[in-house]
Amino acid sequence: MIRVRALRKHYQVHERPPGVAGALRSLFHRTYKAVAAVDGIDFDIAASERVGFLGPNGAGKTTTLKVLSGLLHPTSGEVSVDGHEPRRRDDAFLQKIMLVLGQKQQLLWDLPPSDTFELNRAVYGVPRDEYAATLRELTELLELGDLVRKPARTLSLGERMKCELAAALIHRPKVLFLDEPTIGLDVSMQATVRGFVERYNQRYGATILLTSHYMEDVQRLCPRVIVIDKGKLVYDGALEALVARIRPDKRVVLRFTRPVDRADLADLGTVVRHGAGDTVLDVHKDAVNRVVTQALARLPVADLTVENPPLEEVMSELFARGHAEPSP
Amino acid sequence: MRYLRLLAIQLRTSLLLSMQYRADFLLDAFVEVFWMATAILPLVVVFRVRPVIAGWSFGDALMVMGWFTFLQGVLEGAINPSLVTVVEHIRKGTLDFVLIKPADAQFLVSTARFQPWRAVNVATSLGLFAWGFARLGRGPSAGDVALAAVAMVAAVVVLYSLWMLTVSAAFYFVRIDNLSQLFGAVFDAARWPVQIFRGVVRAVFTFVIPLALMTTYPAEALLGRLGTGTLLGALAGAAAAFVITRLVWTASIGKYTSAGG
Repeated sequence: MIRVRALRKHYQVHERPPGVAGALRSLFHRTYKAVAAVDGIDFDIAASERVGFLGPNGAGKTTTLKVLSGLLHPTSGEVSVDGHEPRRRDDAFLQKIMLVLGQKQQLLWDLPPSDTFELNRAVYGVPRDEYAATLRELTELLELGDLVRKPARTLSLGERMKCELAAALIHRPKVLFLDEPTIGLDVSMQATVRGFVERYNQRYGATILLTSHYMEDVQRLCPRVIVIDKGKLVYDGALEALVARIRPDKRVVLRFTRPVDRADLADLGTVVRHGAGDTVLDVHKDAVNRVVTQALARLPVADLTVENPPLEEVMSELFARGHAEPSP
Repeated sequence: MRYLRLLAIQLRTSLLLSMQYRADFLLDAFVEVFWMATAILPLVVVFRVRPVIAGWSFGDALMVMGWFTFLQGVLEGAINPSLVTVVEHIRKGTLDFVLIKPADAQFLVSTARFQPWRAVNVATSLGLFAWGFARLGRGPSAGDVALAAVAMVAAVVVLYSLWMLTVSAAFYFVRIDNLSQLFGAVFDAARWPVQIFRGVVRAVFTFVIPLALMTTYPAEALLGRLGTGTLLGALAGAAAAFVITRLVWTASIGKYTSAGG
């Protein structure tokens, strides 16, 4: 469905020395520097896959999504989406895709979302009966109710995001690029949006490429992740395998019936936290059985759980390592 | 056909938007009448001192004034609101949503916003024509009206092209408020017949910023004294301006780098 080969996107960035003198000098003599936002990445995504696109700020995620949706022309490399070359922006291609940008909105600010829907219906040439059916489904899946008849400026951020999604899906795109769709939303609204994306994927078999800073989004939605850092591909594969490779440790959380000396824990694993409430140990996954048995035998354990390390930590560790470890 | 339907839906949206702000509507109408009065005043004053200037009598000059009013209506009602919207899109990066739609982007941005009540200007311009012909003591022939309409089409195309070129500059400079204000100030000179200006200024207003083509030619057509050669030249110029604008727009879109992550 999506095929990317040796994709590069460089920007010419105007550089100037700091301060007034520098600004003055740069008025007359500008120096430009090429910045590689995306620096040679390859990947393939099959139809109806859900893929998480991860990387720190400025890694090139949004640039890649914009190249894939035809907004930006690649500097070099080969990109194809369902057989189309995005940069040509032909109508058949644009009919199939949609880009949702969590930080920007397409809803007309002063009008109810239903008017934006109507506008999109006309632009995409969706027949009336099909439009009515789609809208009914979207209204039900997103629990829109009568939100669509209130002016967009009176909606809350979460309500507006739901309407943004509906506006983006009037033409039932086969490929959906979601850039930070849950940014700024509260926890329950994030869950609504996640649930919706999952159901949309299942119902229409749409291919989904998603970026998010909320690891929860990725964990819940994307069996596969592509990680880029400084414009280069760092990892492409199953999320679980990534976690296992970066952090082979499990996290053992203990609660005791009476205080336990820190020294008694040292031989069990790395102590992450040892406080009045609970104690957290990092333990290599192969040692978990032994540690749990020993702890139960030796220590006054009230409660014990074994968890995966938080994905946020896995990611920051991955990015801290930089490119030291090439992807398989 | 598809684009006619799209135009209809864009108009509908603009109508809905302008009805959201009824107070603005009234205020705008009031301001418009005020501007019209101040625009005619200098004309009245000047022609009181000298009955004929550069071959134009007061009645003749009212034709220019009429077309100026009409064009201003087109500019403020159909061209400028859309283009202000594009600049806003470029600055905020929401042009992404326009470019990603399966329809011509230039068409979409050019028809994005109308201010329907600017149609008031059309009525005012008809009034000015009637006043002018009353002063002249005659009416226009049907042929002259048709020629004037053709000249006006050329004028609208040129005006649109110039505005669109200004907007394309926004892809490179982002803030173009000054540029469009400068253009607005220059456009004000179009209320005078171009023959009033001399030398370099007249050449500039004929060929570079063709104010002559915008108001003087249609007025001359209405008065029955526009040469066929001039009209054809105007049409050719308009066509060229449109093509150039299209090329510049396409190139600008290719250079678009989006904004805000």
